[in-house]
Amino acid sequence: MSAEGDSKRSAQRAEGERSDEAGFEQRLRRILDERYHHRHPFNVRLHGGRCTEGEVRRWIRNRYYYQTRIPLKDGLILTKSEDREFRRGWIRRIHDHDGDDARTGGLELWLRLAEAAGLERADVASLRGVLPGVRRACDAYVEFVASHDLLESVASSLTELSAGPFLGERAEAFRKHYGWIEESGLEYFLSRTTQAPRDAAEGLAYVLAHARTPADQERCAAALLRKCEILWALLDGVEWGGRTPRLAPAALVREEGAESVVVLPERAVRISVSGREVLAACDGRRSVDGVAAALRERHPEGESVERDVYDFVERMEGLGVLTHAAPSGAERRAP
Amino acid sequence: MSGTRTESRLWNLVAELTYRCPLRCPYCSNPLALRDFPEALGAGDWARVFREAAALGAVHVGLTGGEPTTRRDLAEIVAAAAEAGLYTHLVTAGLPLDAAGLRALQGAGLRSVQLSVQDAEAADSDAIAGAACFERKLAFAREVRGLGLPLTLNVVLHRRNLGRVRELIALARALDADRLELANAQYQGWALANRAALLPARAQLDAAAAVVAEERAKGARPELLFVLPDYFRERPKPCMGGWARTHLVVTPDGRALPCHGAAELPLEFWNVRERSLAECWREAPGMNAFRGEAWMQEPCRSCPERARDFGGCRCQAFALAGDAAATDPACALSPRHALVAAAHEEPRTDSWRYRAPSER
Repeated sequence: MSAEGDSKRSAQRAEGERSDEAGFEQRLRRILDERYHHRHPFNVRLHGGRCTEGEVRRWIRNRYYYQTRIPLKDGLILTKSEDREFRRGWIRRIHDHDGDDARTGGLELWLRLAEAAGLERADVASLRGVLPGVRRACDAYVEFVASHDLLESVASSLTELSAGPFLGERAEAFRKHYGWIEESGLEYFLSRTTQAPRDAAEGLAYVLAHARTPADQERCAAALLRKCEILWALLDGVEWGGRTPRLAPAALVREEGAESVVVLPERAVRISVSGREVLAACDGRRSVDGVAAALRERHPEGESVERDVYDFVERMEGLGVLTHAAPSGAERRAP
Repeated sequence: MSGTRTESRLWNLVAELTYRCPLRCPYCSNPLALRDFPEALGAGDWARVFREAAALGAVHVGLTGGEPTTRRDLAEIVAAAAEAGLYTHLVTAGLPLDAAGLRALQGAGLRSVQLSVQDAEAADSDAIAGAACFERKLAFAREVRGLGLPLTLNVVLHRRNLGRVRELIALARALDADRLELANAQYQGWALANRAALLPARAQLDAAAAVVAEERAKGARPELLFVLPDYFRERPKPCMGGWARTHLVVTPDGRALPCHGAAELPLEFWNVRERSLAECWREAPGMNAFRGEAWMQEPCRSCPERARDFGGCRCQAFALAGDAAATDPACALSPRHALVAAAHEEPRTDSWRYRAPSER
């Protein structure tokens, strides 16, 4: 076998890899185009100026939980790499969010956004108002990274490819439609418009360089898709907080001493005294958020009022005790 | 009184108002030896039973049969149940009741309806029912929803219709049903007699389960109920939620039973024409025969799952193993599990015996 033949073959292979790489990158970008949360109905309303002040606040309060998860998942990613250079690059992402001596981090900027929107910093930072679907989605991201290898974990971060232009658009939308939020609050979006493209470029280069086999590429595409689903579910969770639950029309409520029993076709559900209080607040006008706020007002010292309300409402929805009218324009499924 | 006996609380009264039925389904849960007697309990008797059931804690009454709407005094019975504070639920084939009759029942206090269909399209559905009724059932479903009543569709699944699960779900959606019960046939009574014509193959069930999972992901409505039948599982079903624990059946002639199949067992049950419902529920020897856990044999007695499945179905144990106190042979731990395993090997047949006509 001649040396000439060898080099020809390796040149062909390199050519094949390049075209294959381009196809792979296209595939990743197509996933983002089709499944990134820019298409989620809540986001479409948010950027279109059709969210109420309450909805914008709910989104800010809930999305903060996602922000708090980012440094945790980046810490997990660091533990997966034996490569000093990789870690030096990636650790910057943690500083971007947590801040350091030189700059204010993304978490702090998000709390400033919350304040600019009229929310209480301590309340948002306490995470007590985080809706269950949002919590599950964000936790699922950390769990995904914990249970997958470095390549898949980096691939799941490639939603950053869409984030740069997306956040520029978001800052514009907030200025235009939600003028009641002070400009100082938009610093987070603006800082990310430069950070995200840099992070995305590095992440993409890593994935293209390391996903060498069709099987690897498959795993990367699946990881990115999973991440898109998580971001989508996060916004589903935010929408859920705006539902206005009420007792199902078919329900019959019976009092049995301190307890109540809600009777439905082919089902009976025991309700405790505290459950009764939540049920009574579910009047079809208050949102889930509003129900939690009403209960919080009555129990200012309660440790987990919001969480208890959310869990109860979710459980009662599942059993058909509570129904709700979906918020207008809210389509629940991914395209 | 044993400690476990206090665990039982009557929640659900099943009122079998009649054994008459215009349908002849080959898996009917009514007794094989259909007693040719008139309904011994009149509307006044039922009113008393409802009041006594409510006093025992019952919140639901299922008005069933046979076909309950063959009774001319049904509206009176519904009114009595509502008066007693029970949630009134009609379990019907959708005929012979007409639209005006249904409205009258709603006026009397009917709260919800379960309608049976036998398959997703007329010819096959009617072939299973042994009567031309499918079109009437569809009209009935629309009447129910038109009145704003919650609707459950119930389909008994077996080898002749398991391949139609997707169509059945589509039908339930089209009829705006709140709930679809895809109830695999339970092999007792008529269904046991027709087992060779009804028992599906494992692959059929797996395919149906996959369809259900797919359709569930498409949205919350209708609520889909599908449970793998006990013949295909390692553990038995928690029959009736435990013997005489939450459910009480009163038959057309007034016998108080823990389930509709229990009359076939060699046990003494009492009759509401002769005693109060409370006595029949609490004290009848048959009721207490399998309450709690004291009656259990091994392997149930020491099994950690006994609190979940209650040892399975007593009627099935009696029908298959000849011992009502035995572990349900559907359980893989039962020494008689081979009886169930063997059923899978039996040759199948395409013909079945219809339930005997019961119109007099």
